[in-house]
Amino acid sequence: MKRLAATVLTAVALAVFGGMGVRSQEEMKQVSSDPFPRPQRPPAVFLHDAHNAKAGIEACNECHHVYEDGKRREEESSEDRRCADCHGLADEGGRPGLRKAYHRNCRGCHLERRQGPIVCGECHRRS
Amino acid sequence: MNELYRLATGPLLWAAFAVFVGGSLYRLLELFLLARRRERFLFTYFSLRYGLRSIAHWVVPFAATNWRRHPALTAVTFAFHLCLLLTPIFLLAHIVLWEEAWNVSWPALPDDWAIGMSFVVIGGCLFFFARRRVVPEVAYVTSASDYGILLLTAAPFVTGVIAYLQWFDVRLFTVLHVLSGEAMLVAVPFTRIRHMLFAPLTRAYMGSEFGAVRHARDW
Amino acid sequence: MTGSKTPPPAKTVDEGLERGIAGLTEERIRRIIRRVLAGETGARLKAYVDTCIHCGLCSEACHFFLSRDRDPAYSPVGKVKQTLWEILRRDGRVSPDFIKEARIIASTHCNLCKRCAMYCPFGIDVAYLMLVVRRICHLLGVTPLYIQDTAHSHAATLNQMWVKDDEWIDTLMWQEEEARGEIPDLRIPLEKEGADILYSVIGPEPKFQAQLIYQAAVILHVAGVDWTMPATPGWDNSDMAMFVGDNELMGRLKRAHFETAARLRVNRIVMGECGHAFRSVYDVGNRWLGWSMPPIPIVHAIDFYHELLEEGRIRVARRFEEPVTLHDPCNVVRGGGLHEKARAVIRRTCAQLIEMEPNREHNYCCCAGGGVINCGPPYKKHRVESNRVKAEQIAAAKLKGAKVVITPCHNCHSGIEDIIHHYELGVETRFLGDILYQVMEKP
Repeated sequence: MKRLAATVLTAVALAVFGGMGVRSQEEMKQVSSDPFPRPQRPPAVFLHDAHNAKAGIEACNECHHVYEDGKRREEESSEDRRCADCHGLADEGGRPGLRKAYHRNCRGCHLERRQGPIVCGECHRRS
Repeated sequence: MNELYRLATGPLLWAAFAVFVGGSLYRLLELFLLARRRERFLFTYFSLRYGLRSIAHWVVPFAATNWRRHPALTAVTFAFHLCLLLTPIFLLAHIVLWEEAWNVSWPALPDDWAIGMSFVVIGGCLFFFARRRVVPEVAYVTSASDYGILLLTAAPFVTGVIAYLQWFDVRLFTVLHVLSGEAMLVAVPFTRIRHMLFAPLTRAYMGSEFGAVRHARDW
Repeated sequence: MTGSKTPPPAKTVDEGLERGIAGLTEERIRRIIRRVLAGETGARLKAYVDTCIHCGLCSEACHFFLSRDRDPAYSPVGKVKQTLWEILRRDGRVSPDFIKEARIIASTHCNLCKRCAMYCPFGIDVAYLMLVVRRICHLLGVTPLYIQDTAHSHAATLNQMWVKDDEWIDTLMWQEEEARGEIPDLRIPLEKEGADILYSVIGPEPKFQAQLIYQAAVILHVAGVDWTMPATPGWDNSDMAMFVGDNELMGRLKRAHFETAARLRVNRIVMGECGHAFRSVYDVGNRWLGWSMPPIPIVHAIDFYHELLEEGRIRVARRFEEPVTLHDPCNVVRGGGLHEKARAVIRRTCAQLIEMEPNREHNYCCCAGGGVINCGPPYKKHRVESNRVKAEQIAAAKLKGAKVVITPCHNCHSGIEDIIHHYELGVETRFLGDILYQVMEKP
């Protein structure tokens, strides 16, 4: 309980429905915008496996991070939870709101690595 | 393109805001000092009450006689200027950037509204362009710079709409959107877009002369 | 598309302009322009030129533009484009012929009525910009002959009409004598120190409208006003110097006028029905002398008649019967806010007032003021043709029954008389004082 109550930050949402049942990763094509009351843009396109293969990401917690007391816990990972479980719509102390968290996690990394989409319409694609 | 984006949203954006804010302040200060040096009497006649009275009659649509004489132009010009100022400030995508960079945010317009308002701005530019071509007394005093100002104003909105609708290359048009927006900001102190800075002053001065000295209306 | 529809007025031959440009070199033009721009203009010029967005909304304010079939060359901004914008764009490198054309535009295509300042969303003062052009032309010695003659008269005699010192006194004594035929104890007090009021007039009154002095004397006498007129130069409140661009001369004139009032230790200066003189004494000349407002209170005739009627010092015997309409002169209405007082005077003195449309601050200019009529015969045809809207405005008032146009301003009076004749409108024009004199109770 204590750990859950602590500052935990999660990023790119794995759409984990019902909390327990983990869907097949192959089916993930976009980041769900369900937690947002009135999403203004289409959900961000995200092909989980293709992305990771291309980006050379092996450790889950590169994205599915866990923060405690403002520090990232390198040995832990949060792919068993939804981003929205930790990130509310608004910022809470040092914990960014959901939208900001997504943008930082994805776009922040893209900007840093100078690879991948960075402008609005590249992720929030109109089909 | 990544590099160009980083440049456009990094150093160039800083530069654009610096030139816009610094340049605008410089222009106002320059005018103020010029008035102090050569036409100090302007301060004698300046009246806050009558200045505001005059401005009030001109910033309310149809409150001045000449606004009522040109209903179409009045409707367009008010809608145009309102959308021109409000859309960039209250566009969600811009607020997101402010929020992520500076942790400041404010309520946003729904994107549907923002896109509609952008079309109002673009439509306004087309209207003004047509006016410059068609109305003889406007054509007579139109110069290349007038078209330039229209282009500068329309460009961020046209590219913004294209980027939003994701026509053509999204990244290219987003970058063009940023660059054209910066160009417009930079242009404010250096082109006649500076009527945005000076018009309240000229109006207020005329209002002061009419109100306090001439005891007459100026609307 | 961008050209002017109407050809320029038939080649005006104006010796003042021709002789003026004959000796001009481009070098001298440039030097004078720079001197004016660098030494005499400042924040206003800069703000007006930089702020104008070229929208053309000032056009419909201008009687020239409206009367000349919406010719864009006659719109206020069109006139600025042809003169000041060119001067600025070419950094003063303009030819003598350009200066001549600029002088014609600034001095005869604009009455400085400031109606356009009420139509420009930014309140840009085109009249001021035209005055800058006039100033440059004056310093270059390029001025229409007739108005330059009046300015010379001002310079030599301190009055506009070459009225000699003794002629002035003679005229007053003559009018006093005439008026005593009607009111035996009437006096036109001369040089009465400590009088309450100095009554001042424009040069043309003693020159050829002496009956106006007679009428004023009757009104002042009947009202029991403690008044005087000076027997010295300084009696003339008019000012063509202001309109040619000779600010230094304007300063001399206004100083003489105010000092005359100060010498006679009067409390107020009451002036006859003149608009430009009001502008000069109330708004422009005082500023040149460093007074933000006139050093001695200035009361225009409209205001004064209003005061006399409201206080019951003048009573109306029988109101003027014919329906009248009122022309609101720019310099006392847009320039002095006397429109409601003028109407109050008319309601007390006339049976019926029929309003012109538009009226009050929005009234169309007479096209004579701003020194335009004073530029003389070479420009008369152009002037009356350039005010067809005024003719239409008067004709509409006439259709509603108006038979008399009250014009409480000398320039307006003459200008409207010309319009009435040219367009054969079949109405009469009168001063407010004419009406008051006619209807008042006399002993």
